[in-house]
Amino acid sequence: MHFSPLLYLDPGSGSFIIQILIAVLLGLGVALRASWGKIRTYFGAKPKTEDDDDSENV
Amino acid sequence: MSKPEQLSASFRDPSGFLFSRDGILYRQINRAYSKDYARLMDSGLYERLVKAGLLIPHVEVDQAPAAQDAAFKVIQPECVPFISYPYEWSFSQLQDAALATLSIQKRALKLDMSLKDASAYNIQFVRGRAALIDTLSFEIYKEGQPWVAYKQFCQHFLAPLSLMSYRDVRLSQLLRVYIDGVPLDLASSLLPARTRFNFGLLTHIHIHADAQKRYSDREIKAGSGGMNRHAMIGLIESLESTIKKLAWKPAGTEWGDYYQNTNYSDSAFEHKKQLVKDWVGDTKSSRVWDLGGNTGVFSREVASTGAYTVSFDIDPAAVEQNYRMVKTNKEQNLLPLILDLTNPSPALGWNNTERNSFAERGPVDMSLALAVIHHLAISNNVPLTQIADFFASCARWLVIEFVPKSDSQVRRLLASREDIFPEYTHEGFEKAFSTRFHIRKTEAVQDSERALYLMELR
Repeated sequence: MHFSPLLYLDPGSGSFIIQILIAVLLGLGVALRASWGKIRTYFGAKPKTEDDDDSENV
Repeated sequence: MSKPEQLSASFRDPSGFLFSRDGILYRQINRAYSKDYARLMDSGLYERLVKAGLLIPHVEVDQAPAAQDAAFKVIQPECVPFISYPYEWSFSQLQDAALATLSIQKRALKLDMSLKDASAYNIQFVRGRAALIDTLSFEIYKEGQPWVAYKQFCQHFLAPLSLMSYRDVRLSQLLRVYIDGVPLDLASSLLPARTRFNFGLLTHIHIHADAQKRYSDREIKAGSGGMNRHAMIGLIESLESTIKKLAWKPAGTEWGDYYQNTNYSDSAFEHKKQLVKDWVGDTKSSRVWDLGGNTGVFSREVASTGAYTVSFDIDPAAVEQNYRMVKTNKEQNLLPLILDLTNPSPALGWNNTERNSFAERGPVDMSLALAVIHHLAISNNVPLTQIADFFASCARWLVIEFVPKSDSQVRRLLASREDIFPEYTHEGFEKAFSTRFHIRKTEAVQDSERALYLMELR
């Protein structure tokens, strides 16, 4: 894994490994959502506007 | 020009550091960080984040760097009026700080950048809202690279928030012990077993903690990345939804009636409000601490004069309610914080200089001590002269309310114990405080036996 010299935090081996496992699983959902959006658009559904976070009030 | 002084808390990140010169705070950016800084500024990310109130603005200045050899640029960030720490925040404040961090990460990813740290100490409340104060927290995102700050985010935000929500809100104080956030094995063992049925807490706390133990010595090999952009977004969204679902409400109470003011008639209450407001104006105080501020009723009066007001209280529920009002009313110069006056935040961290103590963050122009002296003098046995010394260290001006023994609140405190406080009278109080202050004004609070004093430091 290439690290930039400025990554000063220790990401932790266990945290790194488990993060990748969890994220890959969750990423499938995100990918599916993206594809589903494309399919819907192909069949004439209005494309969902991407969340514009700028209006988000945290 | 005086010698620049590097801030003692600013040593971890080789990208740059904070220093002060002639009373102004600057941030030196090192050459090693120049590409990441350029991307932050050129990609439009800086502008978007500042516009959204999620990052404090800065200007590039023509100042000599504090360490010439490594220097790339010097910037002057906007001044934050009061630096607070996560162990002083109420539940919603820590939750909003967490959500702000994730919101920043999502926006950064859209422009091919990523947060390289997710420290709660990098978030401050600016104009009433959680904002990032560390301009050097961004790095250029390389697809495939996992989130290097994942562990830190879980320790600084998710672990304490889940403990506060599922176990006890007072567990936020673990952040005072663990400077880099709550260890995940500790959080996992303290959380109730039912949190294993919450997907977010199961994965990001329990399984995460187990993995840390199991793989602690495992070397991360080149090419062990493989976390594409969808996976990164999935991870951030999962953390976000887990945190949004966490909630806290004090047991058996409704927010609306959590605090009813008891010992006053309406007219006495209004009278007290008006006096406080007038005295803030008379003394031209622009920075005020309300010590024992409860839900912020008087802090709000002070803040309405334009003074930047920090409202401290020991009760997490009162501070929570105060913060919710700040958000609802979009108040910009009022900061509610949790503080135990009998044991205020100490100096913490490396060499005891990374996090400032409560006292080191003062003094301010004025402090308010309304209906608080009996808690210090009677519940905590602090001699009146020592209480005067404490307030003398806080501010030049002091507005203090004396609550006599005849008051029902004090009678309640004395009901279960011996009255060993012969000095605790109006006269004894004035005598003790006169050692440190000039008493400028005294007003009896209407319809009560209490009195309000305006004092100035000797």
